[in-house]
Order: sequence, then structure tokens, then C-alpha cells
Amino acid sequence: MASALRPTMLRQAFAAAAPAQRCFSTAMPAFRAAQLARQQPIKSAFVRNALPGATRVAAFHASPARAILPPLPQVIKGTVNDAAQVPDPTPMHGSYHWSFERIMSAGLIPLTVAPFATGSLNPTLDSLLIAGILIHSHIGFESVIIDYVPEHRMPRLRKLLMWALKAATVVVGIGFYEFETNDVGLTEAIKRVWKA
Amino acid sequence: MLAQRIASQSLRRPTQTIDSDEAAHQILAKQRLNRPVSPHLGIYRPQITWYASALNRITGCVLSGGFYVFGAAYLVAPVLGWHLESASLAAAFASWPVAAKFLTKLIVSFPFTFHSFNGLRHLMWDLGRGISNKQVQVTGWTVVGLSTFTSLLLAFM
Repeated sequence: MASALRPTMLRQAFAAAAPAQRCFSTAMPAFRAAQLARQQPIKSAFVRNALPGATRVAAFHASPARAILPPLPQVIKGTVNDAAQVPDPTPMHGSYHWSFERIMSAGLIPLTVAPFATGSLNPTLDSLLIAGILIHSHIGFESVIIDYVPEHRMPRLRKLLMWALKAATVVVGIGFYEFETNDVGLTEAIKRVWKA
Repeated sequence: MLAQRIASQSLRRPTQTIDSDEAAHQILAKQRLNRPVSPHLGIYRPQITWYASALNRITGCVLSGGFYVFGAAYLVAPVLGWHLESASLAAAFASWPVAAKFLTKLIVSFPFTFHSFNGLRHLMWDLGRGISNKQVQVTGWTVVGLSTFTSLLLAFM
């Protein structure tokens, strides 16, 4: 009789142990997840880092509270089995563009250092510095727009911002042309204000 | 006969044939809602590697933003009656209290020095140098130190 009962008792013991294991997996009943979330309020980064890696990973998967944005409405172009479209490779949008950006950035180094190193100011170098900063800024703002305004999600806002940036660059360019022709130049102006 | 019919009915499964592209589309869209979503930046531990990179973009945007605002404002200044000539700007700035002048210079000089030094680091990476984790950390903290020191120096000038 006792031997016949033993497997049943074992099964009960396993049944009791199972939920503890289950709390480290993603498949967890909703009420258990909610319970866990109530027990473990959001901790500071320091406390989180002090915990061993596996515990943190398990806690992240087990907790319903996470710093994750909800998925946006899903849009599928074409039919279900269409492959993702790959844009045509062109050096104008690839290596040439990339090299141009690096050359622009590197070109700003001597133009920035020159007034500090020589202690003298040259109108031509000052104009070149302004043109360099303007192009470098335009490239920078362009990257920011490309990174944060994805074309597949906000095509119209992307287009609008790109044209607004182009317009702003032209306006600022004309503004600095006026400044360079009517005033003392960017470097000298900064020096004036700095030493005021 | 009756038993046979009951057996065949209980075996019937509630299956559905997807006959239209539209229905398949709907199922795919629903499945995609269950896909994992990229985690937000907040789950990553703050480290010099990505913090310096983010700060590089922020300082660049601050400097370029200031550059754009001044350039555009200078162009419209005569229409709006503003005085943005260097002489009047210098005169206005000279009348500020010393602490405000120092703080303003620091707010301008730190983005400038940080973006300049960190830009050299980015150009070095573009040449394929100094990409190991250790090197990125060392050069990162070097840039933080150098830019803090030089920006304070500039602010005291």
C-alpha cells in the first residue's frame, strides 16, 4: 500500500516545486507575473547592476513592467511572402557620401586650430571655417532626421523636415554671408564677446 | 450507424482554409503584433562607450543649433530692429555679472571642446584604429578629462 502511494506523493512534491522554476521562464500565468511585479518594485540602476546577470535577465523576462515601447500598427507591403526591398547600391549614397562627410569633418580640424595656433585672423580662412561648419552642421542635422524620423513610418514628415533643413541651411548661409561682409568675422566676433 | 456519425462529428476539427490574400495579410499583421519590440535605451547600463557617443550628437546639435539660430537671426535682425552686430553683443555681454559670464562661456565651451576631441576619436575609428573595448573606454575617459579641462580653461579666459 505504501509503495503504491509513493509515486503520488512524489508527484505532489514536484507539483509544489514547479511554480518556483516557472517564474524564471517567459511562459508564466498573468496573475503570477502581476504578483511578482508587486513584490519587486523598479529598482535603481545601481541595485540592478549589483544583482548577478542571470537574476536580472530572469527578472526582466518575468516582469510585465519594462521600459519597452508598445508595437506600432503593423503595416505589410505587398503580399505575405515578398522579400524586403533592398535599395540599388550607388556610390553616391554610399562610399562617396561617407568619404565626403569624413573629409568635411577632418577639414574642420586645421580651420579650427589655425586661429588658436597662429594668433592671427584671416578673412578667407574665416569664411572657409563658416562654410565648413555650415556643411558639417547640415550633414549632422540630416543624420539626426534620418535616424529619428524613419521614412517607412513618417514619409511626409521626413520629406517636410528635409526640405525645412535645406531652406534653413540656405537662410543661415545668407545670414553668415551678410555677417562676414558687414561685421568683423566669426572668429573675431567670438573673441570680442569672450573677452568682453 | 448513429454511433458512427457521432464519432465522425467529434473528430471534425475547427479548421479554416485561408483562401484570400487579404485574410493571410490579416493573420500576418496579427502575428507581427506579438513579435518582441526593441528595448528602450533605459534598460542598458550607463557606459562610457555609448554615453560618449550620445553626448557627441547632443553637443553637435547644441553647437550647430546655436550656429543656425544666430545665422538666421542675423539675417532678419534689420527687419525686426534687433542689434546683433558683434560690437553691441560684446557691449551687452560685458554688462553681465562675472558668474553669469563664466557660466555662459562654460555652457558654450564644453560642447565645443567635447565635440572637437570626440570628433577626433570618431575619425580615428573611421580609419579602423582603436576599436577594441579597452581602447574605446580609455580614449573615452581621456576625451572627458581633456574637454572638461580645456573648457574650464576657455571659460576663465
